[in-house]
Amino acid sequence: MEDTQAVAALVERCLGGDAAAWEEIVRLYHRRIYNVSYRFAGTAEDAEDLTQEVFIKMYRTLKSYDVSKGALVTWVTTVARNLLVDNFRRRKHDRMTDSLESAPAGHQDALTLGEQLPDLGPSPDAGVHTQQTQRAVHQALQKLSPELREAVILRDLQELEYREIAQVLRVPEGTVKSRINRGRAELARHLSRTYRQVS
Amino acid sequence: MYGEHPGGMDCTQFEALLSEALDGALSQPLLAGFRAHAAACADCGPLLAGAQAGMSWLKSLAEVEPPRNLVLNILIATSGAGAAASLRQASPTSSWRDRLRQWTRPLAPAFSAVLQPRFALSLGMAFFSITVLLNAAGLHLSSLRAADLRPSAIQENLTRAYNETTARALKYYENIRLVYEIESRVREFRNATREEDQQEQRKKELEKPRDRKYRDDNTSGNPDRKQDRYSRQNEPVVLAGTWLDDSVYTIPEGRAA
Repeated sequence: MEDTQAVAALVERCLGGDAAAWEEIVRLYHRRIYNVSYRFAGTAEDAEDLTQEVFIKMYRTLKSYDVSKGALVTWVTTVARNLLVDNFRRRKHDRMTDSLESAPAGHQDALTLGEQLPDLGPSPDAGVHTQQTQRAVHQALQKLSPELREAVILRDLQELEYREIAQVLRVPEGTVKSRINRGRAELARHLSRTYRQVS
Repeated sequence: MYGEHPGGMDCTQFEALLSEALDGALSQPLLAGFRAHAAACADCGPLLAGAQAGMSWLKSLAEVEPPRNLVLNILIATSGAGAAASLRQASPTSSWRDRLRQWTRPLAPAFSAVLQPRFALSLGMAFFSITVLLNAAGLHLSSLRAADLRPSAIQENLTRAYNETTARALKYYENIRLVYEIESRVREFRNATREEDQQEQRKKELEKPRDRKYRDDNTSGNPDRKQDRYSRQNEPVVLAGTWLDDSVYTIPEGRAA
């Protein structure tokens, strides 16, 4: 949790033209924004460009930040998320995957969810720290729809509260929870398929 | 199955509680009903297993390290003012090439055409030409001082360089002229000597054979020559002698000639 008073003072200094204050903001949030961008966009190059764009946008719109409406981290994440989604739409990288409900109906030979989920391949606790596994999870994450992907990234990677995620995504908390559950299950389904193909 | 109520809750309630259940935020009574529903429902049981596995996979992802110069690039792209200070702090171990690349990165699109090999070659040739001209004019960049950049100093230097260059050229021309003149005189002298010899030769050739005989026969004032001539005229020619006798065969004067 960030110190609201300190952040407000920092923003105030920054708006007053203090370059050191702006640098402090950049240092505070660049790692978070880069990670969100990387997990959402998929590549380091895109993540770097997007992170820069996010901060350029922040620099121009910092006046619009209202301390009373929420934490700076939520505002920063909102700016980043909006830019990521805009970028996604602009590039027309439609990597929408089959939703949890439509998957069995979309493929005649696809397994039902009840058949797929028990066979998850290697246990997540066993050897998940290897680079290969990390890459597989990252690739599976790219196969999720943007709605599910952003929800699980914000919850499981950025560890935001449901309330904050709802604020960022501008959807009800119930929708956030539903997307998170579906996103997790979808990811597990992709990974089980991947490991079944490998084995 | 949706619509059934194993564990005292339906599938919608189960899904609503799924996140809290995975977060470990459910109370004991709710958790018991939740587990009972998951065990009995053919849809919700796999959903729980999948969500649990997916969460574990996601939690296993490590945080990625941002590029080293990301902060610096952001500052350059935004405020720009703090870039110089950050350059020393953010990348103290970066090489001068990295720093140069970072500084010139915003200018890269504008100068991309200039950085082509042909432009580089042209720039190199221009630099070489300017260097040669400066050296010829007597200007050395290493010894250039601020005082030399005054207009009066520049004019003075240019005038001096012009006069020195003109004097060198004139001296060179004069030296060349002197050499040519000496060579010309020597050639004339040789030609004159050769003409005298040729005239002498021609004079000898034009003398008559009678005059030559008269000159050979004229022994007046030269007694040795006169004696030699006399001896050759009166002495008989002795050919040879044999070992059988001492007789010597002589050939009469008339036949010996």
